[in-house]
Amino acid sequence: MTTTRTRSDRVRSGLSHLFLVLLLLGFLGPVIWALLSSFKQPADIIRYPLLFDPSTFTVDNFVRVFHDVPLATGFLNTGIVLLFKGGITMFFAPLAGFAFAKYDFRGKNLIFGAVLITLMLPTIVLIIPLLLQMKAFGWINTYQALILPGAIDAFAIFWMRQVISAVPDELVDAARVDGCSEFGIFTRIVLPVIRPGLAGLAVLTIMNIYNDFVWPVIVANTEQMATIQVVLSGLASTISGNRVGADYATVTAELLAASSVALIPLLILFMALQRHFINGILAGSVKG
Amino acid sequence: MHLTRTATVRTAAAGAAAVLATVALTACGPDISAPAESSDPNVLQAPTEESPSGEITIWDREGDLFTVFENTIAKFNEKYPDITVNHVAVDIDAKLQNTLITGTDVPDGVFLDDARVSSFTDFLWDLSDVLEPYSADIAPQKLAVNTAADGIYGIPFDLDPGLLYYNEAALTKAGVDATQIETYDDLLDAARAYQEAVPSARPIHLEQAPFLAQLQLEMYANQLGTSLGDEAGELRLDSPEYEQILTFLDTVNDEGLGTRAEYLSPTDIGELENGNQVFYPWAIWFSFAPQQLLPETSGDWRAMELPAWETGGARSGAMGGSSFVLPKDGENSDLAWLFYEFLMFDEAGYSAVWGPNEVYPNGLNTSIPSYLPAADPATPLFGEVEALGGQDLWEVATSAGAEIPAAGPIPTWWGGAVDYLGNDLQRMLDGDLDPAEVISQSTEQIQTNLIDRQ
Amino acid sequence: MTAVTAHSAPTPRRRRLSGARVRRLSAPYVFVLPFVAIFLAFSVYPLIYTFRLSFTNWRGSGAAEWVGLGNYSYLLTSPQFWSSIGNSTVLWLLIVPIQLVIGVVIAVLLNSATLKFRGMYRIAYIVPFVTPLVAIAQIWIVLFDQGYGAVNAVLGLFGIPEVGWLTTTMWAKPTLALLFLWKTTGFIVIILLSGLQSIDGSIYEAAAIDGASRPRQLWSITVPLLRRTIMFCVVLQTLAVFQMFAEPYVMTQGGPYNSTTTAGYYLYNHITRADLGTGAANSFLLVILVLALSLGFVRLLRAKD
Repeated sequence: MTTTRTRSDRVRSGLSHLFLVLLLLGFLGPVIWALLSSFKQPADIIRYPLLFDPSTFTVDNFVRVFHDVPLATGFLNTGIVLLFKGGITMFFAPLAGFAFAKYDFRGKNLIFGAVLITLMLPTIVLIIPLLLQMKAFGWINTYQALILPGAIDAFAIFWMRQVISAVPDELVDAARVDGCSEFGIFTRIVLPVIRPGLAGLAVLTIMNIYNDFVWPVIVANTEQMATIQVVLSGLASTISGNRVGADYATVTAELLAASSVALIPLLILFMALQRHFINGILAGSVKG
Repeated sequence: MHLTRTATVRTAAAGAAAVLATVALTACGPDISAPAESSDPNVLQAPTEESPSGEITIWDREGDLFTVFENTIAKFNEKYPDITVNHVAVDIDAKLQNTLITGTDVPDGVFLDDARVSSFTDFLWDLSDVLEPYSADIAPQKLAVNTAADGIYGIPFDLDPGLLYYNEAALTKAGVDATQIETYDDLLDAARAYQEAVPSARPIHLEQAPFLAQLQLEMYANQLGTSLGDEAGELRLDSPEYEQILTFLDTVNDEGLGTRAEYLSPTDIGELENGNQVFYPWAIWFSFAPQQLLPETSGDWRAMELPAWETGGARSGAMGGSSFVLPKDGENSDLAWLFYEFLMFDEAGYSAVWGPNEVYPNGLNTSIPSYLPAADPATPLFGEVEALGGQDLWEVATSAGAEIPAAGPIPTWWGGAVDYLGNDLQRMLDGDLDPAEVISQSTEQIQTNLIDRQ
Repeated sequence: MTAVTAHSAPTPRRRRLSGARVRRLSAPYVFVLPFVAIFLAFSVYPLIYTFRLSFTNWRGSGAAEWVGLGNYSYLLTSPQFWSSIGNSTVLWLLIVPIQLVIGVVIAVLLNSATLKFRGMYRIAYIVPFVTPLVAIAQIWIVLFDQGYGAVNAVLGLFGIPEVGWLTTTMWAKPTLALLFLWKTTGFIVIILLSGLQSIDGSIYEAAAIDGASRPRQLWSITVPLLRRTIMFCVVLQTLAVFQMFAEPYVMTQGGPYNSTTTAGYYLYNHITRADLGTGAANSFLLVILVLALSLGFVRLLRAKD
């Protein structure tokens, strides 16, 4: 079926592009500002936030950051947590979601209630008892403390249940009748069907773990154990809130430089995911 | 059969769950009992060995100050070669409370805002004994903020005297001599005179950030010898002193003599640079602005003592400031004491902090020592400030600092009060409330929501 | 997806628990076991602890004083508590509907196989989420400064008087909402995109043949099929909006005049001021509230069917 692009099609396409580009600028604008600002003299950042004079650009802030701020360790630690905690979630969350979506079992509502509570209760409230627990286990400033509590993200389970319940029951039943083991149904029927959801889950899991700050800053913030957000928050504490104190210009500059640098591995990771994982996987299922 | 067995199992399970729950409920959670009297504070004793040894973990906030302290460690080790200092940059506001409450990985010494010391006294060493040789020589205000009913809990670090920063060039050009100002009434007159010459001017800074405005309010109150909380933690906002201060601020606002802006926001800086805002009653650490953020008027600014509330009254009050605290759960807090003792009371120490170093080639000029022998007007630790026209800021600040009256300790609810007093103050500047209303409303709300619930 | 030809079910076997049946009955338990294990290990103790704490007045040291329902009654009768709920509600209204509409549009556009730079867009839209908030708050404060900010400067070009974006109670919430929208829309787009990619493209072809225009397709086909995903996003963002505290903390400290004190920020203040019992009670109240709202939405959106 050939379709000629009508005029309204072209107009719509043009508008869509315009819309997307405007949004792109809106989303990236502040980040680009942060990046460009980190090349400015610290005082200039505060004084003339919107003026960029390339002749005054300096790499001092970056030098200072690399010297003062343990970025490499931060990346390493974030990477380790991403690998383990992300891996655990990516494997077990869909599995649990499958159980909730396609099975009826006694205690199902109770356990799902536990998932909901985990999702809905603000972390900040649970910190003290959890910290006491970590202390009792001897897990302060360890990877276990960063990875295990909440290792299977409640949000992930919640979402996977959602996604998997859209898989037709007939597929599952048919596979069962064909003699497939329960786990086999999961791996051979469900997982392939929910590939788009899995891809999305991968991205979101990475984002959530990367962003996680409330707990890591409390339980593991020695220089060896700090994740990248903890490292950045150390800089931020001097400037956030009340601007009391004298050196917040230099710290702001460092923070902007550090933030810009911190984004790079993540962007590379996502671009790699895009190219090799998501696009490839989705090649068979892209429509419209 | 199947059903009955299930029913039995279910009942048994429920029973077990109930028992478990009860056990759990009683076992999990903080110790609940009748309100206990506070336990006897433990008083820290200084180490007595010739050359004490061990490792101490010191927490400081990230930033230039961290580097300044880092650079003092070498000097410290000259005196105490066997003490290893593990100096860590930490988000103290985020971490300290949880660390102390759970007793996990507690450092030996922590840098802490004065306003927060009183919240943690239960976790800290009482330093009355070790500070005893020095306390007579420490600025009374700093000692007072660190003193709770049953002891002294912080080693005073910096004294932040309030000063009146003024744009001398602009004022002179308009025919106003700021050095003649002695009282806040004089300041009002000077502002009026300036405004006549420069009609667009709103000469006096009025702080718009609720927290900072409340901090500044306490500076004014300190001059009058009072503060929000007295030694017993009672609110004394409802007093003639606060009435006087609020009326002053209200007058500035009503007569259009004030620039309302958040500290060093773009608006604030803009109005400082264009000569509309020429009087900035603030802590010494405002000095950062002319040096770094005000290129056009750099060199035009000067600092002088604050005006007094009455002729002959105190010409400065403290605004902000920090101290060092020693957690009881720290392993080597007594060694940490030696570190801070060196920094604050030993000439080699305090010269290293305030004197010229790689971070501040001209010295650290955003605060002065709270140890009076170190804060001698005649022997400056930091150099003259170019951005203040080469003024000897040290002399001005230390002289002002010497005048600061003692106030009370900062109550634990001080920060929470910003929601009430801080906001009501801003409402007054909006014109929605008058001073009496601010006082009565805030008093009632602070009392109900903060003090009564302690 | 190809249609599945139904097999006729084999005749049910009587009572003998076959191996397959045992596996089928035990499978869900095995599948949720990892979560349950972690929950039991790391969530039960904190939950019970916090629950118990909510009935006490504890400042972090010494013994906790039992106050029964005192914290709950304080909160439920406190004007500040209710105004924080009100603030969060207004923010919800400013954020969720807009975010879903924009999110669906973006997701639909990004779903197109023919769109150039698709990958670049997708990455760009999630960058805000992973950018440190404190760095972003700086620019928001600068951009929206009343006297000297770029936004007011641009408005000035059109003759519009300057607006106190962060300093007036009227505009602080929308400005905060904008920050939250900026930060989290990418997250929602990812979820919606996944939902979209599960829709069979042949439906669109059939509709196109029938003469349905693209917008009509969007409205009549895509949105209904996405309904469950959209509902999921609503529940998620409801939770996020009510728990929001980092954004007001760095940008407005809950001001001006507590107009941006969200439910989460109000809760956060209890904790940082060592009013731990009240904080615990507050968090449970918040859970109940969000749960009720979510159930309400679910019921609402399901009723439409």
